[in-house]
Amino acid sequence: MNIFQRMQNIDRRWIYLVVALCIIIPLLIPFNSKTYVTDPSSNLYQKIDSFAGKEDKAVLLSFSHDASTMAELFPMEVSILRHCFERNIKVFTICFSPPSAPLMAYALNVAKEDYPNSQSGVDYCNFGYKPYGLFLPIVLGMGDDVAEAVQTDADGRKIKNLEIMNGIRNYDDLNLIVDFAASAAVFSWITYARVRFGANVAAGVTAVMAADNYPYLQSGQLVGMLSGLKGAAEYEKLVDVFAAYEDADNPNGRKYSPEVIKDTWVPIMSKKISYDSSQGNIDTDVPLPYKFKMARIGMNAQSIAHIMIIVFIILGNIGYFTTRKKPDETI
Amino acid sequence: MKRQIPLIIVITLGFLFVAHTFIPSKASVDFYDWWVSWAKAISPFAVVLGILSLFMVHGTKIQRKAPNWQYSVVTLLALVVTAVSGFAWGTNEGTPFLWLFQNVQMPMSATMFSLLAFYIASAAYKAFRAKSPQATVLLIAAFIVMMGQVPIGAAISKWIPETAQWILNVPNLAAKRGIATGVGLGMTATSLKILLGIERTYLGSD
Repeated sequence: MNIFQRMQNIDRRWIYLVVALCIIIPLLIPFNSKTYVTDPSSNLYQKIDSFAGKEDKAVLLSFSHDASTMAELFPMEVSILRHCFERNIKVFTICFSPPSAPLMAYALNVAKEDYPNSQSGVDYCNFGYKPYGLFLPIVLGMGDDVAEAVQTDADGRKIKNLEIMNGIRNYDDLNLIVDFAASAAVFSWITYARVRFGANVAAGVTAVMAADNYPYLQSGQLVGMLSGLKGAAEYEKLVDVFAAYEDADNPNGRKYSPEVIKDTWVPIMSKKISYDSSQGNIDTDVPLPYKFKMARIGMNAQSIAHIMIIVFIILGNIGYFTTRKKPDETI
Repeated sequence: MKRQIPLIIVITLGFLFVAHTFIPSKASVDFYDWWVSWAKAISPFAVVLGILSLFMVHGTKIQRKAPNWQYSVVTLLALVVTAVSGFAWGTNEGTPFLWLFQNVQMPMSATMFSLLAFYIASAAYKAFRAKSPQATVLLIAAFIVMMGQVPIGAAISKWIPETAQWILNVPNLAAKRGIATGVGLGMTATSLKILLGIERTYLGSD
């Protein structure tokens, strides 16, 4: 048996061992890598940012996944919440499946730790878990009156009595819905909230689901999309570079600019946000905790894992073509 | 009657919803409001039915000592303990319910999903072969998209992420749109068959 035949019959436990090492080592020993921002991510960022400081505009985050896909979706949820808290954007959260409820509370708790001034019922509101049987009545009902459709928040308070509801009545005000899902859940928001009421809808999905959403991105029915861990890493960078940016001229962040995002990258190994660009390096005193860079650290492991899979495919094909039976030339 | 009554309900409500969508009027809005209040009342019954069904299925398994009945004990225990902890102490930060979720359910779910990485790598090595021109095209597209999704791809060449994005925006989009159109037409045809009482398999075999 030659080496190629051995390669074809390799015990799959060796493959599992290589996979484990390729993923664990980059997570334990992170390194700086550049994140390139794509249009679907920057479009979503700009849409959310356009609500900054507005009393009559708000974002609704719909959590439609369970803990199994947290690795990809949780960093994007935390990033968007961070963006909203950073730029004083009203944000609501809702879910229609029981396993999503603790995830929603967890994401809110993780993001708001760094924003002690953000108050529940004033700056953000967790609508909580609503049974899936009420999905349609609530989604359609919010087109007329959000407070009437949802009734109470996760703490049992009457929605209509909350300060955050000032200026928020229906989808004209609750103007952007971002659905985080590992399924086709976002299509329901497109069908009922977008088509019927003209609400803006965006998606935060696992990488395997992203391909399904491209027709809706092209048609404009999705205003933006975060695709898997890469989308989360892009959003983390966007928040670092614009919303969390602080200097004498821009004490509350700076406006989005395609030139700046293309030219700037944020080294994730430092504990404070620093910016590296063709203009030079800027070090700030703004902390960059792990929770705000976890997607970018995860992207290191994903880089190595993708290369490993490509190497596996090449090796597998070399083994296949070299051991393939040649036609019998004696006949 | 067992088949006729559900059939009459489906056909009548089906046409009423079609009318509600296409004929805007006060009667149509009143009908919709009436339905919303009914939908809210139906949901809690579904939860009770689900819990009862779970207890009946697993209770019978435990009683009969069916193969792997021990797993049924774990399922029922998990249901009772999680529900009791939620009802007794609430579901907020610092409660036993959230502790169970963060320390038991979250790691278990993540472990199950992460097993995919091992199976994908193994399958890529053992089965992803350039056996035909179509398979070769798929292989090349997979290489480019995989490299385009990670920072190292852009570091090698800016063409890699741009080509990956083109693959997603053009050939992928065209195929997905074709599939979506087919599915949409299929759904419309099936819905019409249900509304007209031609398709009755949802009623079961009895």
